[in-house]
Formats: sequence, C-alpha cells, structure tokens
Amino acid sequence: MIQRYRASAGIMLAPAVTLIGIFVLLPMLLTVWLSFQDWSTQTPFSSAGFIGLDNFREIFGVSSVGRDFKGALANTAIYTALSVILILPLSVAFGLMVYQRDVAGGTALRTVLFATYMVPMIAVALVWSKLYSPSEGPLNQMLGLIGVGPQPFLSSPRSALISIVFLNVWQQVGYFTVLAIAGLTQIQGSLYEAAKLDGASRFEQFRFITLPLMRRTLLFSAVIAIINAVQVFEPVALITQGGPVGSTNVLTYHIRRVGIERAQGGLGSAMAVMLMLSLIVVVCALFAFANRKNDE
Amino acid sequence: MSAGSSSRLSRRRPSGRKALLATLMLLVAVASAFPLVWMVLSSLKTPAESMQVPPVWIPLTPSFDAYEKVSGVVNVGRSMWNSLVIASITTAGILLTSMMAGYAFAKYHFPAKSLLFSVLIATMFLPPIVTLIPLYRLVGSIGLNASLAGIIVPNLANAFGIFLMRQFISGVPDELIDAARMDGASEFLILYKIVAPSVAPAIAALALFAFVYHWNSYLWPLTVLQGNADAYPIVISLSRLLSYNRGAVNTGLVMAGATLAVLPPLILFAVLQRFFVDSIVGSAIKG
Repeated sequence: MIQRYRASAGIMLAPAVTLIGIFVLLPMLLTVWLSFQDWSTQTPFSSAGFIGLDNFREIFGVSSVGRDFKGALANTAIYTALSVILILPLSVAFGLMVYQRDVAGGTALRTVLFATYMVPMIAVALVWSKLYSPSEGPLNQMLGLIGVGPQPFLSSPRSALISIVFLNVWQQVGYFTVLAIAGLTQIQGSLYEAAKLDGASRFEQFRFITLPLMRRTLLFSAVIAIINAVQVFEPVALITQGGPVGSTNVLTYHIRRVGIERAQGGLGSAMAVMLMLSLIVVVCALFAFANRKNDE
Repeated sequence: MSAGSSSRLSRRRPSGRKALLATLMLLVAVASAFPLVWMVLSSLKTPAESMQVPPVWIPLTPSFDAYEKVSGVVNVGRSMWNSLVIASITTAGILLTSMMAGYAFAKYHFPAKSLLFSVLIATMFLPPIVTLIPLYRLVGSIGLNASLAGIIVPNLANAFGIFLMRQFISGVPDELIDAARMDGASEFLILYKIVAPSVAPAIAALALFAFVYHWNSYLWPLTVLQGNADAYPIVISLSRLLSYNRGAVNTGLVMAGATLAVLPPLILFAVLQRFFVDSIVGSAIKG
C-alpha cells in the first residue's frame, strides 16, 4: 500500500515540481552563477566566463555603472519604506472602518477599495499620468480650488518618486485592507467586553488588544508589501523612464534595462543577487524584530 | 467574532460618532473610486470638453469616438484575444498542477515532504525580476521566444496555488478518501470526484486570482515578446497609446484604452468578489 501511494505522490507532484524547478529554481541558481560571470544575454550560457567578484566590484564602484546601481538601490529602498509606512496604518484604519457593525456600508467600502487592486498596472499608470498632469490634470485643478499652486508631481526629481508611491498605495491598499480584516476577525470579542468592564478607553483597547493581536497579520502584510514594492515597474517604464534625473530609476526597471536591453547579463545578475540578498536581510530583520517584541 | 469593534464604541455621543464614521467611510470610498470614475468619464468626453478650463467633470454630450480611435492605434480585438488565451490557458494549467501537488502535500506521506514544501513556498516570495535574465535566455533556447507559448509555459505552476490548495485540501476528511480507495477508485478519480467538489470555493478563488493576475501581467510578456506585436496582450498594446499621451487632446483616447483593459478583470471582480476575498484570507490565516 505505502509503495503505491509513494508512486502516486510522485505522479501528483511531478508537473508542479518540474515546472517550478525549470522555470523558477533553475533560473534563480543561474542568476547566482551568472553574477560571477562575464556574460552577454545574447549569447548561450556556455559562453560565460568566470570573473569572480568583478561584477560586484563594478556595481559598487565609482563608475557610471556603480553610480546608477547605487542610485536605483537607494530609490528602491526609499520607495519600499514609504510604501510600507503608508500602506500598513491605512490598511488597519480602513480595516477597522469596514469591520464595524453600527454604520452600514462596510462591505461596499471594501468592494470599492479592493476593486483598485484588480486594475492592470498599465491602466493605473495611464490614468495617473493624466491625473498628475501639470496643467490640465484634475489633481492640480482640485488643489487650485483650495488655493494651492500647481505641483510638478512627476516632472520634478523631488516629487516624482513620492508621486509613484502614492499611485502604488492607491492601487494596493485594498488588498492589505482585506488582510487586516482577516486579522481583525480572529480577535475574540470577549476581550473587548472584558476591557470595557475594566474601564479601558477605545484608544487603550486598540493599543493593548487590537494592535498586539494583529502582530502576525501586520508582519505578514509588511513582508508582502516589501516584496510587492521592489517589483514596481510599469509606472516607471511607462511614465518616467527612470527620470527626471534618475529619481525614479528603481531596481526592477534598472536590472531589466541592464540585463535585457543592454544584454549585460552578468552585471544584471549581480544586481539581481544584491536585490535578493537585501530582501533576505530586511525580511529576517523584520522577523527578528517581531520575535523580540514577542518575548517582552 | 461578536463584533469586537462595535463593542468598543463609546456610548456617550453615538449619533455624532456614527455621522463622523459614515462621512469618513464615504470620503475614503470617493477618494478610492475617483481615478477610475474619472477615467471612464474622460473616455466619454469630446476633445473640446477635455481641454476646457475650468474642467468639465461630467461629459454633457457623451461620445464613444475615443473608443473608435483606439482601434485605429491598437489592434484591440487581436490583443484582447491574446490576453484571453494567455490568461485562460495559464489559469487552467495552474489549477491542474496546484490541485495535484496540493493533494500530494495534504494527503500523502513521503520522504523530505516538508523540505520540498518549504523550498516551493520560498519561491512565492521571489520577485520575478531576480530570475528574469536567465529565464529570458532559457525560454529563448527552447525556442519559445516571441510567442504566446513563451509567456504561458513558465507560468503553468506556481507556489501560491499549491499553498492555497494544500490549505483547503487538508480540511477534506481522510475517511472520505480512504473509503473511496477501499472501493477501488484511482487517485485521479478521487481528486476529481471527491477532493475537487469539496474545495470548489478555493478552486474558484484560485482560478479568478490567476486569471486576473495573468491578464494584468506586463513585465514578462514585454520581455519575452521582444516586439512581436501579433502576440501582444492588451496591456502591452496599450503602451502604444503613450506616444499619444502628450497633451490634453488625447486624454479621451488614452482613457478609452485604459477602460478597455480594465473592464474584463473588473467585471469578473464585480460578479465574483467574494471568492477573491476568500483566497486572500485563505492565504493569510487558514492553517
């Protein structure tokens, strides 16, 4: 019997494992291997030549390659941090709004928020490029109504990256609101009843019950938000092309430009490896931070 | 579940608090819906209306001219068909591979099971850009570059689907499966006749999610197609509208294109939103 099911397990797993093995795990290992090679993307893998750490020296060096990469790394870090800092509190606030009983419309609000998550990023980029438009864009026209002068949004190096963060937050916050609601439904109502009997204010209930019991949800949300944020590509590729003056040149865009368009596969792979390492470090730090809080 | 949040509300000024909350909710909903509503309204404006100062928010003489013009710039029918092919075949593949693997992880014991599962799940957190460069070359070397197959084949299985299916299939009682085995049912028959119906909502959720994700995906098709416009999905065809994106004259045109791309996923969502929410919640807290 056992033997029979072992064979069945193999058959059931074969398609998924083969596909993920060939198209995800193998490329991931190739990325690491290629990061130590001198290799043009237009040539077969066999033409790669080992050059040790030269790619890494170059991307952290003082040449234009290094300058562009470090700029992209910094832009991605800023973009990611801002996205997470905006998305998490908003998703909890919206989640609390949706998940309350005495004012109707929670489900409708959730529907509206989450609908934005279904919109293809290309459409988001097209719409927001017009919303942000300096003269005829509705955002500046509305700012004009309250007496604020026109903002350059995407055309100034100081505001372009932040403008793309807002676009991203608008698109994604509904997804994280649903996650927050999932977390909220797991908190026992009796805890609030007990706290109320003890005279805890609404803020105290939030601070000492809701927040601590949401920790796992928030940790999960933070990890997903970080991973989503480093993938930002469409608004940059379509609206700003990394500009003005490199202010929106983020890693996904930069790696694709170097590795595919300029066919510098080795260099691009070294950049991808650095991205992967940064992610691992950040996510591990996040988990360590959450666990430290656990011990308190 | 007894409405934690409602019980923590102060009872002192209930009506004022309710009014404030209702206003806040309305504001959030309006802010969230505004870009999409504006997109649709703008697509119906005449060029004169989109240039008017102060702005015309609601087109007085709605016209579908912009939609006709989009067809002049982009092959809408062909692109929509390509998107449909990509999203449907990919989704079918993901359902099949995820159910099989999810069943194996939920109901079989085999060596190194948890190790294999961990490795697969880890790929869920790998941003696609990390594998893009070698994958592009790999797909090219097996002759799939610049084709629909090149977009589809690498995406026929993913860790999220396996994870979701395992979560839900674990809840199917072992007794049910054992009884079917006693009756001599093959493992595939059990998967099809017993497991699949029991986890139908999860299958629907995964199908919808995969369909929308692959309808919307941009980076991989852009990379693999390398200018083969015949195979462009709608989201890539639309980037051609960007050269028309300078100046107010073409706002209507661009918004009409965006509206076309948004409609299929948004209609799916409107009809079946409960399943989308289920799949997110399932991935976050179940198990």
